[in-house]
Amino acid sequence: MLEKINEIKHQIEQDIVNIKNSNDLENFRVKYLSRKGIISELYDLIKSIPQDDRPSVGKAINELKIYCQQVFDNKKQEIENLSNIITEQIDLTLPGRRRWVGSLHPLTKTLKEIKFIFQKMGFDIADGPEIEEDYYNFEALNFPPEHPARDMQDTFFISDKILLRTHTSPVQIRVMERTTPPVRVIIPGRVYRNEAISARSYCLFHQVEGLYVDEGVTFSELKGTLVAFAKQFFGSNLKYRFRPSFFPFTEPSAEMDITCFLCNGKGCRVCKQTGWLEILGCGMVDPNVYKYVNYDAEKYTGYAFGMGIERITMLRYGIDDIRLLFDNDIRFLKQF
Amino acid sequence: MRISLNWLKNYVNIDVSPEVLAEKLTNVGLEVESIDYLGKKYDKFLVGKILKVDKHPNADKLTVCKVDIGSEIIDIVCGAPNVAENKLVVVGLVGATIPRNQHDTDSKPFTLKRANIRGIESNGMICSEYELDLGEDKSGILILKDEKLKAGTKLSDYLGLNDVVFEIGITPNRPDCLSHLGIAREIAAIFHVKLKKPKIKIKESKELVTFAAKVYIDDIDKCPRYTARVLRNVKVEPSPQWLQNYLNAVGIRPINNIVDVTNYVLMEIGHPLHAFDYDRLKNNTIKVRTAKDGEHFVTLDGKGRELKEGILLICDDEKPVAIAGVMGGVNSEITETTKNILLESAYFLPQSIRRTSKLLGLSTDASQRFERGADPNITKYAINRAAELIQRLTNAKVLLGYIDIYPKPIQPKKIFLNTQKVNRTLGTNLTYYPIKNLLQKIDIKFLKRNKIGLWFEVPTFRPDLERDIDLIEEIARLYGYDNIEIKMRSPILFSEQANFRDFEDEIKNYFFGRGYDEIITNSLLSKEMASLSKDEYVEILNPISRDMATMRTSMLPSILSVIKNNIYHQSKNLNLFEIGKVYFKDSSVPRGPYTTPNYREEKRIILAKTGISECPHWSRDERESDIFDLKGEVEDLFVMLSLDKYKFISYTIDRTLTEMNLNIMYQNVEIGYIGKVKKEILELFDIEQDVYVSDINLDILKSFVNYKRKYVPLPLYPMVIRDLAFIVDKGISVEKLLETIKLSAGELLKDINLFDVYTGERIAPDKKSCAFTLQFQSEEKTLTDEEVTQVVENIIKVMNEKYNATLRK
Repeated sequence: MLEKINEIKHQIEQDIVNIKNSNDLENFRVKYLSRKGIISELYDLIKSIPQDDRPSVGKAINELKIYCQQVFDNKKQEIENLSNIITEQIDLTLPGRRRWVGSLHPLTKTLKEIKFIFQKMGFDIADGPEIEEDYYNFEALNFPPEHPARDMQDTFFISDKILLRTHTSPVQIRVMERTTPPVRVIIPGRVYRNEAISARSYCLFHQVEGLYVDEGVTFSELKGTLVAFAKQFFGSNLKYRFRPSFFPFTEPSAEMDITCFLCNGKGCRVCKQTGWLEILGCGMVDPNVYKYVNYDAEKYTGYAFGMGIERITMLRYGIDDIRLLFDNDIRFLKQF
Repeated sequence: MRISLNWLKNYVNIDVSPEVLAEKLTNVGLEVESIDYLGKKYDKFLVGKILKVDKHPNADKLTVCKVDIGSEIIDIVCGAPNVAENKLVVVGLVGATIPRNQHDTDSKPFTLKRANIRGIESNGMICSEYELDLGEDKSGILILKDEKLKAGTKLSDYLGLNDVVFEIGITPNRPDCLSHLGIAREIAAIFHVKLKKPKIKIKESKELVTFAAKVYIDDIDKCPRYTARVLRNVKVEPSPQWLQNYLNAVGIRPINNIVDVTNYVLMEIGHPLHAFDYDRLKNNTIKVRTAKDGEHFVTLDGKGRELKEGILLICDDEKPVAIAGVMGGVNSEITETTKNILLESAYFLPQSIRRTSKLLGLSTDASQRFERGADPNITKYAINRAAELIQRLTNAKVLLGYIDIYPKPIQPKKIFLNTQKVNRTLGTNLTYYPIKNLLQKIDIKFLKRNKIGLWFEVPTFRPDLERDIDLIEEIARLYGYDNIEIKMRSPILFSEQANFRDFEDEIKNYFFGRGYDEIITNSLLSKEMASLSKDEYVEILNPISRDMATMRTSMLPSILSVIKNNIYHQSKNLNLFEIGKVYFKDSSVPRGPYTTPNYREEKRIILAKTGISECPHWSRDERESDIFDLKGEVEDLFVMLSLDKYKFISYTIDRTLTEMNLNIMYQNVEIGYIGKVKKEILELFDIEQDVYVSDINLDILKSFVNYKRKYVPLPLYPMVIRDLAFIVDKGISVEKLLETIKLSAGELLKDINLFDVYTGERIAPDKKSCAFTLQFQSEEKTLTDEEVTQVVENIIKVMNEKYNATLRK
């Protein structure tokens, strides 16, 4: 009897493999699991075997029934899944229901990253007007009247004493006027220069200014901060240099160059064959500036820096014409 | 400014390459912007002598020449008709780049290779004038006429092009570096070598200058010093080649020996001089005075100039002869017939020269130096140098002595430098000796020291050094910025309560996420566009062009021109936004920490939508954008900001640019509008499709945002939902229906939404059906069906009374 049960189990194993569709499946069910199926017949046979053998045979038949039901259920699931796909005929290769994807302007993206880095270093964000007084744009920044340094920045005038700010530096004065040290801010904003529009210059651009005034702030720390920024922004293995420069509101003044990342310092068109790219101007706040905001120049020292967002954006994306940034062709905008 | 290496070598020994020198100069703040190797173009070109000319065995029109190029004799195949033995020619060697190819239509340069021409090896090329870019003659090879020339001479040497010129960006604080001697002083400091200033030898005649000329100064403030010498029997002629080469190298056109010497001294010592024709000065007199309004004067460039009060003039006994420190006049100019000259070497007040230069719109090498600050104590040295050179070139008679009016000599400044302050500013650990040594290298005199610091005397050629901080900069510069070690403190510092949320960024991210492209446009535009606003616009006194003569009063014109350009490039479905400022004249604005008096700046966002409303998809029909697309954007913006007291008012106020306007109100404050751009405005931009815009004042919007939220407990009892459809007259607005339903429902109504509007066959033609979903909920208990029905019946009753509304079954 047990042999017969085993034989049936083998038969089940063979039959289940051959099931290809729901018809086969039904035939299988009728053959084994129906009320007149093989397994039911086995139960009927129990009566005809000796009393002592009945428990072991009964157990074997029960196990066979459970096994058969299980393989049948699995096969049924498999066949159903398959038939669903075939009967409903969904073409999953059709395109999905999409929305238009917007874009942030590349200048916004660059500014966000710059802000992110300086905010991590503890800088707040400050702001000021674009239509500015001569006093804030020049005088309080130690540009005396009739001074040639004013020629460094071609200015749009609104009236004798009112102009469009040529840099974000006037906000330094505004911030210092309303706060006592320590002061640590960055100032992003739009500035204007009265220059003919070309691939290299536009009548306006955007700057990020930085200012840190406290007791014990040094040039050494200025270098450290800007190197930290440049490494975060351009990559940690960059090479840099600081070279003396001139701004009326800082003393000493410097410009920071990094090795041209397009040619690795070998010299190319972008770095004008020098191997270096100028990325920002900086320096220690000139004591004359403190006079205008009533800071004690003997007690406090500070540094300031400023960079052009357009320039940095153009460098990192390899954009060779500044006007592209203001044309707003969406084929351009969507690339970033 | 252009600085010649050969010229520099007269004053200082330089034994590093031009590249290294450029780097060192840059590192002390004299930024070398480019290096111009004058002879580089003719690097592999030599003078050759043709020894022998033979016919080419395999070509009738070619010859084979044996050419002596100094070091060897080479074979060159040549096709020129004028090739001949014993002629001196220019030979391009293998590897040379021929500047112009005369057989190429574009005359492109090409590099010479060793060539086999019909079986004969040719090791170079004999060039024509055209090929060398020295002239336009293509007819044959260039024959050099100078018989003393030796074969093997470099062409660049022959042409005087053996110099290297640095283009240096001199910052306005360093007038002392606007000369070769000034740059040489820095080089001497960098390399620890000696500066050799030219020693001057003049043979003076017996005639006393004080008898030959008189000088009077009216305005001693504007002209603190005037030094003059007189030279007789000069001979005006072209300068010798060496002088012309120097001037050419630095970009100054040689004129005649007298003018060239004054220019040479200017570029050598940095002090501007002027030479007058002595015999054209009335009564041999110089008077320095200020101009009167309306005086007229013709400058050396031949232009007549209207003078203004305050401009400083150099005059003779009756008329102006020069604009002081800026430009001389035609009436006293050096000409070929000039016999005697008066040399001027003066010091003028920088502010006065700058003002004059601005008033006249005339900037010259001289004015640039005076306005940055010349050295008042160098006038004698400069005038002597010029007198010496003119005497050497023309054998002129230099009259004995000077005229030198200098009533209040300008003394060198003394500055005290606290050593601690040096280190406190720079973050260094410098002691007395390095500080002293660094400053002495640039001619700053050490006087004495005490316990806390050092006294220095600053030479008058450094007007930029006035305070201790200025000396600290010099120390940092010469010590080397790169040598200042980075030492970071890490103070934790919050000056105010941190602002975690950047409102502008939040809005940008929101619309970016909604599928809008951010644009950034020019804030300068034409007066016509700015004047479309009713508010007073801001005009620019000195605009670049008419298109950019005013500050924008709206961002609409610029977003429309962006739309125009994009449509032109076939991008017709556009969702755009810009966040930026608009600007107005406004006398109510006071001077404040964030404001400039009388000007108002507003931060705005403009949204624009045109073309189809959604991304095309096979499952849905395309629909043109309409006003409700933008209205929905604005409603959602309020939801995003958790602002629920907004209202749209659609009364037809007239806007210049848009129609179908909806005013956006928040707590009865107008914060912006939504509208459809008028056809006639679109026509100005050649846009043929509808454009919808919304313009919102972000400053006001931000003021309503409350970032301090409080948690509201979630409702405890279930919600009951009822749908109601009312049939009403078409003319009744949905807004009114909503208001009435809300009022009549009372506080159990939590939310209401319009889900359908129907007009058509199934109802009367002058009616519409509006279907709403109403949500009821109580905070105290589970609502029964009866309770809700009671409220709904009241709504139906009130709607019927007020709008004759009937329920649609």
